[in-house]
Amino acid sequence: MRYVDEYRDPALARGLAAEIRSLVTPGEVVRVMEVCGGHTHAIYRHGLEELLPPELELVHGPGCPVCVIPMGRVDDAIALAETDGVTLATFGDMLRVPGGRGSLLEAKARGADVRMVYSPLDALALAAQEPDRHVCFFAIGFETTAPATAVTLRRARAEETPNFSVFCNHVLIEPPLRAILETPGLRVDAFIGPGHVSSVIGTEAYDFIPEEYGRPVVVSAFEPVDLLQSIAMLLRQRADGRCEVENQYTRVVRREGNARAVAAIGETMEAREDFEWRGLGVLPKSALRVREAFAAFDAERLFTLPGARIEDPKACRCGDVLTGQIKPWECGVFGTACTPERPLGTCMVSSEGACAAFFSYGRLRRPREEAPVGA
Amino acid sequence: MSLDRERCLTCSDEAVAARVESVEELEAVIAVGPATERVAIDLVPDARPGDLLLCHAGIALERLEDAS
Repeated sequence: MRYVDEYRDPALARGLAAEIRSLVTPGEVVRVMEVCGGHTHAIYRHGLEELLPPELELVHGPGCPVCVIPMGRVDDAIALAETDGVTLATFGDMLRVPGGRGSLLEAKARGADVRMVYSPLDALALAAQEPDRHVCFFAIGFETTAPATAVTLRRARAEETPNFSVFCNHVLIEPPLRAILETPGLRVDAFIGPGHVSSVIGTEAYDFIPEEYGRPVVVSAFEPVDLLQSIAMLLRQRADGRCEVENQYTRVVRREGNARAVAAIGETMEAREDFEWRGLGVLPKSALRVREAFAAFDAERLFTLPGARIEDPKACRCGDVLTGQIKPWECGVFGTACTPERPLGTCMVSSEGACAAFFSYGRLRRPREEAPVGA
Repeated sequence: MSLDRERCLTCSDEAVAARVESVEELEAVIAVGPATERVAIDLVPDARPGDLLLCHAGIALERLEDAS
């Protein structure tokens, strides 16, 4: 299959793994954070850690959009779903994310009208098909997914759809990166930048990382050879004494991104004063809300929401996982009280979540004595 | 509820490269394996049949460089 086979070539992967081994110094650990949950998933799925020398440690970042949604926002979505006459539509994984009052799937079991869609445009189509219902789309995602919501808002206004709204929870990639970079005692030496977010915002969006924080970035695609090449590029920068943003995903990503997508987001949405992130706390200007010009389609203006802030379960250490402080298996409830079938924390819900990815692909390879539960 | 680990369940629509079969105004029919799907091309309005598009959550985000 074109765009897959050539990026899973075993000979290429072995060659890059050998190059990576030649670029590390024995005993000197280099910690590389993959920001995007898609990368985390690919690393575990393809067993890439098995190919890497012990001096190369991969740290999982905050880039799973499901994992960073706080419990209070899930409760707000449940309140919307339980409002008379409202149909709440959202992506599959959001149905399973636990809030303070259970999940949307449990609300559906209690009688709320909750539907799974693949696209916000499907939710808009649902509103046209069911004019007696108000269809609210529970929007989540980084800059990759925000353009779809933006296009949907434009179309809703153009079509004058009276029974459609968006509960906007789109988040931005730069604020959590800054929060991680400003963490005291930061133990990340380099970053694998997100691929599909960058197709929208471009590689220039990461210039602040080498310029202000002295860490190199390589924007990467998602296949095994892509990720190994990106790691090798980061190590080459260190070997050459360079510190810059490089682009491994040249077949999609441009330095300036997609100006039409950025414009669509800017036309329909604006930065919130602040937004609560799971694991990172409240970050200023880190999320988007619907602009005044599209107020007729803004669920937060149309409905009164609880808006409560709910603490995560004490046993759940999603926050530490999301910021790279611990590995998934170091959480005391990993694989016991918290599994993909019955997730306690959001990192176990989405296939992009570090805990779910490790549960599915990584845990069988790691001897228990190396993976002490609750260490 | 699918627990398919091969795809991003966030949107059940991992950003995938897909070939355009036909275009009608701001919608393209793309080939996804043996099936076809419709995606909005508002952000890649000059997409043409034969182009490879990066698609996510029901819209095309970008055109891929096609070396074939």
